[in-house]
Amino acid sequence: MERKPSAVLIVALILWTFGVAGTVILPLFDQEINSATASGELRNYPEDSAEARGREVYVQNGCQTCHTQFVRALPADTNQNLGPVSKGGDYKYDLPHLLGSNRTGPDLMWVGLKYNEDWQRQHLIDPQSTSPGTIMPSFDYLTNQELDDLVAYLMSLKPTEERLEEYKKEREEAKSMDHN
Amino acid sequence: MFTDEKWSSSKNWFIAAVFWIIIGMSMGLLTATKQIWPELLNNRWTTYGHVRSAHVMLVIYAWLSMAYVGSMFYMIPKLAKTKVYSEKLGNFALVFYNIVILEGFFALLFGQTEVIEYGEFPLWVDVQLLVAIGLVAYNLFKTVGRRQEKMLYVSLWYFLGSLLWLPLTWIVGNFPAQWIPSGVQQGLMGWFLGHNAIGLWMTTVGVGQIYYLLPKLTGRPLYSHQLSMIGFWAIATFYVWNGPHHLMNGPIPGWISKAGVIPSIVLLIPVWAVLANFWGTMKGSWSQTRTSVPLRFTVAGTIFYLFACLQGPLQALPSVSSVIKFTHWTVGHAHMGPFGAFSFTSFAAIYYILPKIVGREMFSKRAMEAHFWFSTVGFLVFAFSLWIAGVVQGFAWIDGIPFLQTVLMMEPYVQGRAIGGTMMYVAQFFLAWNMYKTIKLAKLEKKQQAQQQAATA
Repeated sequence: MERKPSAVLIVALILWTFGVAGTVILPLFDQEINSATASGELRNYPEDSAEARGREVYVQNGCQTCHTQFVRALPADTNQNLGPVSKGGDYKYDLPHLLGSNRTGPDLMWVGLKYNEDWQRQHLIDPQSTSPGTIMPSFDYLTNQELDDLVAYLMSLKPTEERLEEYKKEREEAKSMDHN
Repeated sequence: MFTDEKWSSSKNWFIAAVFWIIIGMSMGLLTATKQIWPELLNNRWTTYGHVRSAHVMLVIYAWLSMAYVGSMFYMIPKLAKTKVYSEKLGNFALVFYNIVILEGFFALLFGQTEVIEYGEFPLWVDVQLLVAIGLVAYNLFKTVGRRQEKMLYVSLWYFLGSLLWLPLTWIVGNFPAQWIPSGVQQGLMGWFLGHNAIGLWMTTVGVGQIYYLLPKLTGRPLYSHQLSMIGFWAIATFYVWNGPHHLMNGPIPGWISKAGVIPSIVLLIPVWAVLANFWGTMKGSWSQTRTSVPLRFTVAGTIFYLFACLQGPLQALPSVSSVIKFTHWTVGHAHMGPFGAFSFTSFAAIYYILPKIVGREMFSKRAMEAHFWFSTVGFLVFAFSLWIAGVVQGFAWIDGIPFLQTVLMMEPYVQGRAIGGTMMYVAQFFLAWNMYKTIKLAKLEKKQQAQQQAATA
């Protein structure tokens, strides 16, 4: 093989294919990520709804570079009160995915639970007025339509009632465990 | 424009690369500055998200990839004892590649993105970029095909592998999202690209460069051929599995997580094999780093490579990940390979190759020294600010300190990052100026020589 480039290339290709099979092809058959949860169904926005258009605005302005949508069963997330731990099926209709990789700003997985529409709008136009000291830039250059759509999208980011109840119960149980 | 002058492809890819490092890093500096003054240049086009994406895409696919191609257009023919298959095609691919990068850059500033990190260009740009990479790979494969040297040196293994893996990986990562079943599946495919753009392109070409440069710069043979084989095949086997660790502790099934995390830790093997080989080769030559700037860049690159590769497997441990994931630490780590390790080896490659192909030494040794020290000190300030920031941030979240307060806590570190980043940025002007002077003087000298010859004849 030390003299044959084609042999090196063939083995290199085979090894690469194994990696693709393991980390890209096999997951296609995993139900955990490929069937939607009830909360995931809420993100199946009808085409040209305010939420779907708002999601476009979110992507176009690169919101995903600073904000994750990714809640883990870890103290870093539970102690920040991020809401129910996210499951693969929650993202079934997310195209493109907005999982994110950096929290320059807070996680937005369930941000619809936390504030009302007025707050969201005010925060987008003048972040300092709602969150003094924040490093979020102002999005006052968005048109009214874009702002409406974006707020509609952000407000839609919430779990179903059942999921929320389940989460609250878990939290209380965990708290009472702490007290014992 | 599409000249077939000897070594013109190598030279022209280098010139374009250095142009783009200035543009790409100014985007980075703007990103860092925006974290201090959020309203700086805040408008629909240069908003934080756009500038940050443009920075990542430009430094990886414009600066570093073009520098790599420039190196390969010199190193591959040298190793194969032949000439480049087609200099004309090499120069044509360069012009095409640059047009595509320019399109991608503007697409990102206009808000067109695929969201996939390291693969953010929209689909219409992806397809063109694939063609451009294909042209380069074709040209270089053809060059290897015409080789006069029977032995296949280890650098060639790395270059051949990388030129095969990059286009394939690019296809998987940029697969049209509409044809994939779900958000998480797309996330896995995106991170397949995200990690393997690093593992099977940046790392493998960079390591190939080091294997070429170390023996040349020290005048000593490679420490162990056997060890280099182990390193190569171990990288080829394990790196490709690393994608899923980016979604660790998250919404992926346990088995995928394990399939990603275990190979990430096993990567310690090839890293050890590669570094033992590098430093074995260096034995007895360490003192040369005092006088030779290219050698110093290469050695510093190997040291940063070691750090990057100690951090990588460490971060792949779920417990460590649970503290530092999503924090500034990640950003610090993400700069260690592309800047600390592989930009450094590319600087060394430029300083080694350029004089050989233009026929004159680098114009200024002092500018090279300044380039080295500004890059190194700047990077250390930059990286340590971010690592410390990341750990503080991670534990602050665990302590349940309100998010906004943790942002305020980061202020001094973010400022430290910007200061280090400014030094890194300034450093590159020494490179660009030195290159410009060298090439200009080389041309002048050639002209004078020709005139003298004509006069005496």
